Amino acid sequence: MAEFTSKERRLIRQIVDHYRENRGILGTFLQSLKRQVLSSKILKPHIHSLSWRMKDPNHLKDKLERKLRDYKKQKKKFVITPQNLFVKINDLAGLRILHLYTHQVDAISRGLKELFAEESYRLIQGPTARTWDDESRTFFKSINIKTKRSPSLYTSVHYVIKPNRKTKYTCEIQVRTLMEEVWGEVDHRINYPHKTGSLACREQIAALARATSSCTRLVDSIFRSHADAEAALNRKRKARRKRVGGR
Amino acid sequence: MAEALAVLGKRVLLVDSDPQCNLTSYLIAPDVVDDMLDASESDAGATLWSALKPVADGEGDIRFVKPKTIGSLYLLPGDILLSKFEQDLHQSWGDCFHRKIRGYRGTTALSTLVNHIAAEKNIDFIFYDSGPNIGPLNRVILLDCDAFIVPAACDSFSIRAFKTLGQTLSDWITDWKTAVTLAPDNVYLLPGKPTLIGYIPQRFRVYADNVSADYSKYLPRIDRHISSDIGAVLKEIDTALAPLPFQSRLGLVKDFGRLAAAAQSEGVPIWEVGTPQERSTSKIIFRNIAEKIIERTK
Repeated sequence: MAEFTSKERRLIRQIVDHYRENRGILGTFLQSLKRQVLSSKILKPHIHSLSWRMKDPNHLKDKLERKLRDYKKQKKKFVITPQNLFVKINDLAGLRILHLYTHQVDAISRGLKELFAEESYRLIQGPTARTWDDESRTFFKSINIKTKRSPSLYTSVHYVIKPNRKTKYTCEIQVRTLMEEVWGEVDHRINYPHKTGSLACREQIAALARATSSCTRLVDSIFRSHADAEAALNRKRKARRKRVGGR
Repeated sequence: MAEALAVLGKRVLLVDSDPQCNLTSYLIAPDVVDDMLDASESDAGATLWSALKPVADGEGDIRFVKPKTIGSLYLLPGDILLSKFEQDLHQSWGDCFHRKIRGYRGTTALSTLVNHIAAEKNIDFIFYDSGPNIGPLNRVILLDCDAFIVPAACDSFSIRAFKTLGQTLSDWITDWKTAVTLAPDNVYLLPGKPTLIGYIPQRFRVYADNVSADYSKYLPRIDRHISSDIGAVLKEIDTALAPLPFQSRLGLVKDFGRLAAAAQSEGVPIWEVGTPQERSTSKIIFRNIAEKIIERTK
């Protein structure tokens, strides 16, 4: 027996067609947001690079089929329609901010909030940090960012914004370190849109999460040591200036 | 047309948005027009440019100038310098797609001004005199209009232009929909839903009370192309944008020849010049069209 009925297949086709017809608006939204992030003076010193993407319609089809499969398995009603697509799925347009070390998340978070206020964006979700690492969780909590357990080992801080009260279009912003990006890219290539069947690959990706997490931790430590050294040097310079001035 | 609506009891505002200022020169004496244009950048300025200059210069909000009263009509006089505003509109339009407030402010400035006057004077109909082009000024005018009528000369150039008009309008409406969807809350926006309420074949000669053979051959082609090149294209976006069936002609306006020149030089409606027979004929033509416009904009 076919996995999906003809009615279900038609619905998925209609949703994907609706996305194709309206993705231009999302694209304009994304481009405008990208320009604003790049020209933000607060964000600029903390951003290593940006990447952005619109969801490929074929990948949307895969995602909808996956969701439909899960709903059917759980005997739940599939609730996504062309009318509510942009409300129910928030990652159709995405902007990713890459940075070097974890503590930059605090400044980036403040910079984004200021940008949302200045440009009249409405924050509808987040910031939420998905993390599996206890130490990271403690840090995010200390800067008032909610955390969410991530059994898949995925790590990133997420925001979802929309341009005004009425519109249904949203854009997701992800903030992550370069090391988390390495893990994310490898996982994406191997496990997306279909999870790998190779146990070895799954094991290696889990090990990679630990390795990249350690690298991020090391980079954090390097920058903290550097900041401490700079601060010590500044204190010495200040004391010397004071001594010379006092003579 | 405006006078014909005024005769039927409607309050009409004319906006001369063509930098050539033909409408202003039609209704106001030449020396007064010259003085008005000379003073348009001063504090006493009373033209469209006087009102829009602060927005174009990025120095502040619109200056709400008072319209001129011309008999039973109101007129917002044109200005040669309006072409400066038109140049800025390119940038304003682009800025809307980056959600910049100054972009929306520039794009909607003319609309804000005209709506303010319309509310103040309790206006029923606003007519824009605009240049025959698809430039940024006509874009903001058409996106602000509730309705539009296509004047169609009986020649193949005019028919050919329908396709350009239909496609351009469709692009403008679709693009503006994007700008509206992404606009920040509480920003004034153009409605962006100009409805085609008909067309008027014009500039044809009459022989024995009928359209002469040289011109009448164009009438069925105009009918067909208005429907296929404008109506159908708009319907693809929204059926409400072209609600009328195929035959949506509002009337026929023949080439009035010397009468048009005489009406322009005297600054009166066309039915106030010529022989009693000519006056009666032209009055009926415009009254019939005015009644249809009222009917189709209810």
